[in-house]
Amino acid sequence: MAKLLLIEDDAATAEEVLGDLRGRGHEVAWAATGPEGATAARTGSWNAIILDRMLPGLDGLTLLRDLRGAGDRTPALVLSALGDVDERIHGLRAGGDDYLGKPFVLAELAARIEALLRRPTDTRETVLRVGTLELDLISGTGRRGLRDLDLLPRELKLLEYLMRRPGQVVTRAMMFEEVWNYRFTPKSNLIDVHVGRLRRKLEVGGEPILIHNVRGEGFTLTPDV
Amino acid sequence: MSRLTRSFAFRWALGIALWSTLLSLVLFAFVYWQTAAFLQDELSQVLRHEVRYAASDPSKVGARIETWVSEDLHSVHFAGLFSPDGRKLAGNLDARPQALPLDGEVHRIGTQVAIAGRRLHEDLWSAGIALSDGSIVVVAHDTDEIDRAQATVIRALGLALGPTLAFSILGGVLLAGRAKRRLASTEAAVARVMHGDLRQRLPVGTAGDEFDRLAQNVNGMLDEIERLVEEVRGVGDAVAHDLRTPLTRLRLRLERGREQARDIDELREAVDQGLVWIDQTLEMVTAVLRIGEIEHGRRCAAFGPVDLGVVVSEAAELFEPLAEEKGIVLALDVEGTMPVIEGDCSLIFEAVSNLLDNAIKFTPMNGQVRVGLGRRGDLSVVSVEDTGPGIPTAEREQVFRRFYRAERARQTQGNGLGLGLVAAIAKLHGFSLAVTEGSGGGCRMEILCPATHPR
Repeated sequence: MAKLLLIEDDAATAEEVLGDLRGRGHEVAWAATGPEGATAARTGSWNAIILDRMLPGLDGLTLLRDLRGAGDRTPALVLSALGDVDERIHGLRAGGDDYLGKPFVLAELAARIEALLRRPTDTRETVLRVGTLELDLISGTGRRGLRDLDLLPRELKLLEYLMRRPGQVVTRAMMFEEVWNYRFTPKSNLIDVHVGRLRRKLEVGGEPILIHNVRGEGFTLTPDV
Repeated sequence: MSRLTRSFAFRWALGIALWSTLLSLVLFAFVYWQTAAFLQDELSQVLRHEVRYAASDPSKVGARIETWVSEDLHSVHFAGLFSPDGRKLAGNLDARPQALPLDGEVHRIGTQVAIAGRRLHEDLWSAGIALSDGSIVVVAHDTDEIDRAQATVIRALGLALGPTLAFSILGGVLLAGRAKRRLASTEAAVARVMHGDLRQRLPVGTAGDEFDRLAQNVNGMLDEIERLVEEVRGVGDAVAHDLRTPLTRLRLRLERGREQARDIDELREAVDQGLVWIDQTLEMVTAVLRIGEIEHGRRCAAFGPVDLGVVVSEAAELFEPLAEEKGIVLALDVEGTMPVIEGDCSLIFEAVSNLLDNAIKFTPMNGQVRVGLGRRGDLSVVSVEDTGPGIPTAEREQVFRRFYRAERARQTQGNGLGLGLVAAIAKLHGFSLAVTEGSGGGCRMEILCPATHPR
């Protein structure tokens, strides 16, 4: 349950986003123009702000830059119809914490908002534990219970990413961006194949399932105990 | 009228006429000047000679000037011998022309003469000399003859000027008309192009002159424009066509779900299927837009040094599980030290991924896909080779065109945009692409990257 501000000029898009996020239990306010959004962002207290790149009256990036200039560090996600990488870079440079190109899937937005809300994860930890799963980042070894896991470097990174977000839905695009560090939507069922391979190493012979496929959204790692 | 004066043909005709008239005038003036000078010179010599001859022997002066006068049949010779006190001693001049200097040179002098008993005022070319005893001898010649000759030349000039002008104008009109006819056909062709007929071409003559070369260049330009327009039209048609199919399916599925679903799960199933089709459709639209963005070179902010070895290895690693699932061996062969190139790492990764995705898609079970990175001269060569059906030579040129799907690829899933994206990314980076036959009979795709980026 978080307090969110949506600054988006297209009423139909706003309605869907509001409906979806409220359905997920968030409290969401909506501003339709740049100036309105700027006022709301300054006066209210928000857990996260979702803002469109192009807004009537005041450009979304200018708004964000002003906000950051005033010392406001509220997590912000920039939405844009301009999906290209340059735009993304501009969005992040202006102080955005994440960037999502239109058209987007509601589940993708929700998952990214969730990720923003749960930050900061303590990145100084060197041993991660989720249920019976244990990952030593220094030695690069993983164990489930007493069983040693034989993991490839990329599988280690993937598992680390999931273990830092237990119980949280992460989308394929998020994994691809964070684990592989490339920014485009991978085709086929590439990510699924990688997750599937990891699962076969984690869940051997009737062990309880750790990585769940959330239909239409992504994957989530849940503790087994 | 203003259209006529603005016409370059009219101005040409006028210009040519004026120029040739001017040339004629100069020529005539020269002829006139030369003729007059020649006649004048001739006469002066005769007169100078005569007066000296007459004066050379004082005892025969009278007889000699009488001979000069009598030689003349047309009453144009005049002469006189005058005593020092001005009395006429011989000749047909009544009085000594007072204005005539006695230097033996020829001067034009007006004086009174008697011709056929009548006294007339005449202009004479005259030369006079004073003898030692103080008497004066004058020899003269009428000016009319030379004046007439000069008048004749001027008349000839006047008479010839009309026809010269007429012929010049005619020549100008003919020349300009020829150019204008050529221009008119070109103009007509351009007008048809402007009205949307891009198949129209400018007429090219056989002379190979500047005009023909210009027409050839314009035609080349039109070829390129036509090709681009065709491509845009093709893309538009292909997008519309590829959108209609999933949208039709979607509509039918939703309609059927709405009518026939007996419970919420069945309805959800219909909606889920619909969402899948919508995602595919959006994916295609996004791909088209991305190709557009990349082609317009609007993304260079992410350019930086790229280690092709890392990109190729990571792409291979990304696809390895997928290949394994299909029982395909994915072999990686990367040369040790490769030059670092300038580019957008993410885009190059995407291009290599697309090639790999295709290779795995078209390679049958238990086949092999080889990813390589090597050097060929100054070029770094990224290659992806499969043991699939390969691409017929005739189709190799076309595979990088948007929406092109080889006949054999029709059955597999895809939107025909993958290689179009690869082509756009290659173009942005100044890379070139090559399609050849792989050693295993399949297809070999190469991205050829120059060592130093031309940017």
